[in-house]
Amino acid sequence: MRKRWLLLLTGTLALVGSLIVGPAATAKSEAPAAGTVIIGHDQEPTTLNFYISEGNLYATSLAMSPVLVGGMIYNDKAKLIPVLFDGEPKILKAEPLTVTFSYKANAKWSDGRQITGNDFLATYRTIMNPNWDITSREGWEDIASVKVKGKTVTVTWKKGKAYAAWDALVASSPVPAHKVAGQNFNDLWRDSIDIASGPFKFLSRQKGTQLVLARNDAYTAGPKAKLDRIVFRYIPSTPSIFQALQSGEIQVTEPQPQLQIVDIRKNPRFKVQSGPGYFWEHMDIQFGPKGHPALKQKYIRQALIQGINRAQVREALYVRPGLVGSVKELPVLQSHIFKPFEQYYQPNWGIWKFSQRNVIATLKKGGCTGGPDVPTANNDKIWTCPGVGKLSFRFTTTSGNQLRALTFEIAQKQLRSVGIELVPRFGPAGTVFGQVLPSGDWDIFMFTWVGGPTSSATSFSLYGCGGDQNYMNYCNKKASDLLKKAQFTPDPNERAKLLNQAEKIMAQDVMSIPMYVRPGFLINATSVKGPILNPTQQGSTWNAETWTVSA
Amino acid sequence: MLTYVIRRLLYSIVVLVAASFIIFTFVSVSADPLSFLKMQPTASEITIQNITKRKHLDEPIPVRYLYWVKDALTNKFGTTTIGDRPILPDLTRVMGHTLQLVVASELLALIIAVAIGVFSALRQYSAFDYAATTFSFVGLATPVFWLGLMLQVLFVNIYLWFDVRIFYTANLSGVDPGTGLHFLLDRIQHLALPIMTLMVASIASYSRYMRSSMLEVINSDYVRTARAKGLPERRVIMRHAFRNALIPLVTIVALNFGSLLGGAVVTETVFALDGMGLYFVNQLNAGDPYPVMAWLMVTATMVIVFNLIADIAYGYLDPRVRYD
Repeated sequence: MRKRWLLLLTGTLALVGSLIVGPAATAKSEAPAAGTVIIGHDQEPTTLNFYISEGNLYATSLAMSPVLVGGMIYNDKAKLIPVLFDGEPKILKAEPLTVTFSYKANAKWSDGRQITGNDFLATYRTIMNPNWDITSREGWEDIASVKVKGKTVTVTWKKGKAYAAWDALVASSPVPAHKVAGQNFNDLWRDSIDIASGPFKFLSRQKGTQLVLARNDAYTAGPKAKLDRIVFRYIPSTPSIFQALQSGEIQVTEPQPQLQIVDIRKNPRFKVQSGPGYFWEHMDIQFGPKGHPALKQKYIRQALIQGINRAQVREALYVRPGLVGSVKELPVLQSHIFKPFEQYYQPNWGIWKFSQRNVIATLKKGGCTGGPDVPTANNDKIWTCPGVGKLSFRFTTTSGNQLRALTFEIAQKQLRSVGIELVPRFGPAGTVFGQVLPSGDWDIFMFTWVGGPTSSATSFSLYGCGGDQNYMNYCNKKASDLLKKAQFTPDPNERAKLLNQAEKIMAQDVMSIPMYVRPGFLINATSVKGPILNPTQQGSTWNAETWTVSA
Repeated sequence: MLTYVIRRLLYSIVVLVAASFIIFTFVSVSADPLSFLKMQPTASEITIQNITKRKHLDEPIPVRYLYWVKDALTNKFGTTTIGDRPILPDLTRVMGHTLQLVVASELLALIIAVAIGVFSALRQYSAFDYAATTFSFVGLATPVFWLGLMLQVLFVNIYLWFDVRIFYTANLSGVDPGTGLHFLLDRIQHLALPIMTLMVASIASYSRYMRSSMLEVINSDYVRTARAKGLPERRVIMRHAFRNALIPLVTIVALNFGSLLGGAVVTETVFALDGMGLYFVNQLNAGDPYPVMAWLMVTATMVIVFNLIADIAYGYLDPRVRYD
């Protein structure tokens, strides 16, 4: 009896095992077809139409930027370079702002039709059609006229409404006039797209699993793609992305900062690129009536910034764990307006070095009492300053974010040792962003701004007097005027000059402390040549036509 | 019997309506589906206003709930808040994928668990019984996400050591899944690890139920009588003991199956399977009550239906059970 049962059990297990393992084990490891690169991403585009709110995801941009290319695209230095345009657009007149640009003579759609100024006009009309759920109409709303002559377009803005990021606006991917006419744009390109202006075209989509692009052989505006296909595989769990990468199921990925990156860096089968992006963490200081009175004193804010070792914070978060290869890859952020990789970046906040002795000297000079004479590790003496009370500040940020918790711990410890106290007021993101931040009822608030190549132009909104998102209630008339002027200055050199002038004033004021730029990561198997990290929404597929893959 | 089924179904409708209102309220209060759009400084005000008006987001929650009821009944669960995408086709797709995963894992788990449970009971306190008990406790205590990741690590390493692909670690099918047998093979290679992950907990639990149920039955008077009558042991076990021992397990399996059809959230996330669980998580993160409600209705209906099936099956397996 016992034998029979054992046999039955063994038989069952063997049957089940053979059903699963048998056919699979005989399979050869699957190598993607020649000329195919597989990109793993943690988010799937819900629609392929990146103009509408549903398609307003990085995942959509990543997949569609090789399909619907712009007149110009952002390169890895966040500089606009012509693709469909035959050169850089030109300013014809500063007031009212009038610009002109032309599409290349050989720029055409994948169905053979020429890309002309009418396509730009169709883009403008589509974006301005109130029936469509367009994500952003900024800059487009102030256009007075669009004149088309063949492949050349002249755009004029309303008087006094010069749009600073005009070059990025006109460089937008044009929509094909012959495809959008009479269509419901909200429903267009939901699951597939039958037209392309770039080096790749849409081939197929298996929702929830993958999206496949194939080389667009009709593309003549630039070099033809070397790859046959790009496949996007959607894997929502970051640890699983790393497993898929190791096992060759995907070859390229842009992961979230994870410790697995450290192991991948040591693996010769992979190349890891990292660098600063457009997400920057900062500590804002409240100037409004609900904020601590001490923080309205410039010398106290200057003491505060010198009491935090910002370089050490960056090292503790990203360099020491090995997430980024070296400090050079992630410089200390010394500007709120430009990012370290940008052409116009100036280290305006570099005037404030970490110096605990300076903190104590500054506070003593201001007449503060009760603090330590020298930086002390376990200090419990907190400064009290004339007319503004004890230097004990509420520190607000989101709960459940390890990087922010660690940043707070470092800052709290360093400031404590020089007699400044930080009291944590952490809360869920919904509460702190939805209620606390706009209420102005906080002293110091640490969070991230999500920017982009054009966001410097709209810095007035963040730091200008009465700016829409100036939750600090900070107002320096001189800086604010410069920021306002920059907003309507179309010449990028002139605009950058104004912005840097404003920031020099802001840096003296210490209205906010720039902490660090969140790094972006790009990992590719060494069999894939060509991927270069791009800090903008353009994504790593910005130069996909140059990629090659070896077996 | 029919009266019983009708009464149960009527009760279920009341439960569904109450649950739908509570969940709709919670989702609507806790999240704003337009928050992602509103957070962007350059977001178009016209677009925000259009969506708000179209989806009645400016109405009180009870009114919005009634709009949802109307949409659910007349428009196949309606459309998503952002993008106006029809919900039913997506839900049907993910349901099909989850069915493949759950049916395969539950069937295999049942076969193995019943065999282990019966053998453990018949050889109580044997080495096999101790081993099976230990496996059950370990299986029940192992977190699903950890097990999933460990299986991934194991098979990734097998691939790296031997350059032979046994199973894939992510997604439902390969880049070029092919057709016919090639497609089937590809699907097995992709579903094997998530099936194993789900099976472990199911085997651990079912085998314990089967063992205790079998122990209770084989020590009962009628089994002793059957043996005393001189029936062969095989006939005693299979005919008299086994069928009765299955009764409690049927209830557990039916309930588990019904709830698993709502999606094995963790397993589907770890293995990137486009199923009900992952769909629910994505929609909940988006704060969109419409697809969440559609998911809830389907899942709740499944649980209710399988509860009913369990009750009916109970009556079939045990003729003493009567439905009043």
